[in-house]
Amino acid sequence: MSADNQATGLLHLSAGSRAAFVTLLIGALCLTIEPFAPWMVSWSAAWQLPLTDWVGTSLTWLLDSIKPAARAFSAFMNYPMNWANQLLVGTPWPIIIGVVTALGWYLGGITMAALGLIGLSFVLASGYWVEGMNTLALIAVSVPLALILGGLLGILANEQPRIRSALQTVLDVMQTVPTFAYLTPILLLFGFGPVVGLIASAIYAAPPMARNVMLGLERVDSEVKEAAVMSGGTRFQQLFQVEIPSARTQIMVGVNQSLMAGLSMVIIAAVIGGFNDIGWEVLLTMRKAQFGQALLAGSVIVVFAVIIDRMSATLATERKHYDHRVTFGILLITALGALLFWSKVPNPSDISLLNPVAAFVDSEMSEFIRTNGAWLESFKNSAVYYVLLPLRIGLDDAVLTFTWGMNWTASMSYWLFAGSAIVGGLLALRGQVTAGLLVIIFVGVLETGIAELPWLFVLVATAALAWVASGARLAIVSTGLLLTILVSGLWDRALLSLYLSGAAVLACAVLGGLLGLLCAVSPLAWKIIRPICDMLQTIPLFVFLIPVLMIFQIGEFSALLAIIAYAIVPMIRYTRHGLINTPDDLIEAAIANGATKAQILRDVRAPYAAPTILVGLNQTILFAFAMLVIAALIGTTGLGQSIYLALGKADVGLGISAGAAMAILAMIADRIVQGFAKERRIALGLQ
Amino acid sequence: MTEVNTSIITCQNLWQVFGTNADTALSDALSQSEGNSDTAATLLRDKGFIPAVQDVTMSVGVGELFVIMGLSGSGKSTLVRCMSQLLPSTTGDILIEGENVVSASKKRLIELRRHKMGMVFQHFGLFPHMSVLENVAYPLKVKGVGSKQRRSRAAEVITLVGLEGREDSFPRELSGGQRQRVGIARSLSVNPDIWFLDEPFSALDPLIRRQLQDEFLKLQATLNKTIVFITHDINEALKLADRIAIMRDGKIVQIGTPTDIVLNPVDDYVREFSNDVAKGQHAKVSSVMLSGENPTTAEDPGLTTTMTLDTALARCVNLYNPVPVRDETGNIVGNVRPADLATALQAEDL
Repeated sequence: MSADNQATGLLHLSAGSRAAFVTLLIGALCLTIEPFAPWMVSWSAAWQLPLTDWVGTSLTWLLDSIKPAARAFSAFMNYPMNWANQLLVGTPWPIIIGVVTALGWYLGGITMAALGLIGLSFVLASGYWVEGMNTLALIAVSVPLALILGGLLGILANEQPRIRSALQTVLDVMQTVPTFAYLTPILLLFGFGPVVGLIASAIYAAPPMARNVMLGLERVDSEVKEAAVMSGGTRFQQLFQVEIPSARTQIMVGVNQSLMAGLSMVIIAAVIGGFNDIGWEVLLTMRKAQFGQALLAGSVIVVFAVIIDRMSATLATERKHYDHRVTFGILLITALGALLFWSKVPNPSDISLLNPVAAFVDSEMSEFIRTNGAWLESFKNSAVYYVLLPLRIGLDDAVLTFTWGMNWTASMSYWLFAGSAIVGGLLALRGQVTAGLLVIIFVGVLETGIAELPWLFVLVATAALAWVASGARLAIVSTGLLLTILVSGLWDRALLSLYLSGAAVLACAVLGGLLGLLCAVSPLAWKIIRPICDMLQTIPLFVFLIPVLMIFQIGEFSALLAIIAYAIVPMIRYTRHGLINTPDDLIEAAIANGATKAQILRDVRAPYAAPTILVGLNQTILFAFAMLVIAALIGTTGLGQSIYLALGKADVGLGISAGAAMAILAMIADRIVQGFAKERRIALGLQ
Repeated sequence: MTEVNTSIITCQNLWQVFGTNADTALSDALSQSEGNSDTAATLLRDKGFIPAVQDVTMSVGVGELFVIMGLSGSGKSTLVRCMSQLLPSTTGDILIEGENVVSASKKRLIELRRHKMGMVFQHFGLFPHMSVLENVAYPLKVKGVGSKQRRSRAAEVITLVGLEGREDSFPRELSGGQRQRVGIARSLSVNPDIWFLDEPFSALDPLIRRQLQDEFLKLQATLNKTIVFITHDINEALKLADRIAIMRDGKIVQIGTPTDIVLNPVDDYVREFSNDVAKGQHAKVSSVMLSGENPTTAEDPGLTTTMTLDTALARCVNLYNPVPVRDETGNIVGNVRPADLATALQAEDL
């Protein structure tokens, strides 16, 4: 084909086809000239800038200058933390259980009371009462701090439009920066110890509050706001007597999310703690391979998460009034009981009713592994050798005699490319030009491996995707951001992260999409899957590691499973939600036109659900990136590992740079998927 | 104008333009068009601005029930929000009892709202977290009225709107009509002189709407406030108004009494509105009366100036010569040709 023909041909193609075509050309170019110009494939080390060091030096300087203030603050925060600690650990456990049960009744009647009673009894029986109370004490200080901070920021942003847009940007960035990345500078600023976890948790839990306060105040009916003005209220009266009370529900959603974020962070912060809390206990037992105990401690975290989540969620629903006499009755019984048996209350640390259970789990587990080990091992190995490894380093390197039974040869590559070209060509002839081009590109990526993709190709492909999704601006911004990763020397690690999260997202999309479809079609399936989804969303990230570690040991495969388990939930939920919520008139019209159920699903429900499903995919991507860093604890390579290592060495430069690189990847993916979702919504006339 | 002397609200060359830096854009557009407001508005629209209120000059007299009518998007709600200063207007003056509220301080505005103005909203704008009583008492609360006093005053206005017994209900427990009664009660609790009502009955069912309109008229007969009433319903406007201003695209195209609007529409837009109306039920005999001349005929069907055309026509079915018209006191003030009555009714069909 001559250049002229290409040009005229391109004019007739859609934007997607043109972008795919350019990407394909660049990819082919990279492959052909790789032997002559290796710099096109792997970025030369000579072109790297010591960005990481610069970030490190300037941040260290900055941190050092505010360190005295920070240390003073952390010393100050020690007081409320110690008080909370003494209060929760010092109070006899029957009183705490009684108070939580009474609170449960007050908030949500018999179900919540039962949840509080049974949940805390389980914590007591597990033998992790003191550790649990230590964790709760951290939350009891950090979350109120976060609520005040977030609430103030939200109100301020509501009052000042300029602050609003700035805050929105900061919150967006904070959401994509992985949790571990926060910890390194905080560690440097505030020193070691439980206070670090407290401050990290307060910082991490503030954004959801700020977001919800902003959203809630914005959503107050404009006539309600105007009525407050016309009643002659001052700005202060309008805000505190009308707008904030009207926004109550949304603000309470913020409180709920804030609590969950705070809990999650307190657990994660245990990694640096060495403080006698429940997160540390999980980590310790996991390292000692005492999986029964790890599971028990992990269950304590889950119990806390469920109690806190469900009880605080009742705040955001319409208030029902439960008989106050019952509340007082429970409190009275508690007080009487505590007084009567004051001296006879056993020390919670001596209680270990569930130790046999842990031991049983341990022995059963080793038994299970012994009997099923071969099968599990082969399952894991086939996943690694036939899927993960080719994705990572490409068929050309992954296909070896001792795994595949043969060695990859150059001619195989040619046959593969020829085959893909034929398939692509056939698709193009049938009018699906973009699909055809994508097939060829996909095969090319598979042959090369994500971790070994030429940088030029990645840049062009990303730019092309961004351009199709949202336009030239995103394409330029994405390319620029990727270039900073490239020159910073974190590129290889970024590609590794991209590969692992990509594999996880792909699996989530397929599996979650199918499950979502199943739940949309069968109410029974949804009845079963829904509580599992609720559960998975409540569990702090950390806990996901325990079961996968038990069965598959440390390694990339375990990490992948943990990521999938966490990130699949939004995909299921949104797919179902999108497919279920097609407007009735569309369905009626389709039925009236004689469509079968399957046809309605394919031709009406699915297209209508597309933007919603894309939003789900977007969430899944962000969840996967968040989990990727946590999964570094059990052995992944890439940026997550760097962030984790930086934490260990208190290397701010590396920690922040790797965190930023991770945030860049997440943000680009986020914007691209959102761009597609928006385009679909506009196409459907929904926006 | 003589009207200005008794007017309580006056708008002069009022503009409300939406968009960033609207004020400079407006002054640019005005200087470019040499003060022609229509040209200026077109210029602004071309640049992506929205001139929601365009060069409005009007005034409302003391105790007048002034209705602003127009289709949705015609700027009527924006205009009333400028008057109550819920929206700061772009340029122009708004005088309330001679005081220019455009330049009033925030504190002064709060003062005015606490004492002089009340407002009722289309979707009620009730505070969802407060009971009926608390909603109604809220304007008194921000004013600093003591709890006991404001409860008794709130109970008083709640009775006035016929909601006694529902004081402790919450807005979500009330029907639409009841909610708007709360809105009305709340706007009356401080006993304001000026009462703004922004499409108060538009969100209600027709039957409830008519019922509330009737009650509203009764209420106004006892309260005698100055009212600015927004509606898109010509029948509502004709039923309630002393005078009507008709708006289109941010401009007031006609101000007049209901009879004026029905009988002498200035353009097709206004005529379109009055097409929906049974003219004979609104236009008065005075609109077709020839004053002064005493008719020579002996027939006297007993027409008066305030009689509607329909009634008058019914009395003159068999008459062809001019008949006398009397005023309220029974003095003959003019005469009417029966043929004119019929012509006036058919005017729009020409």
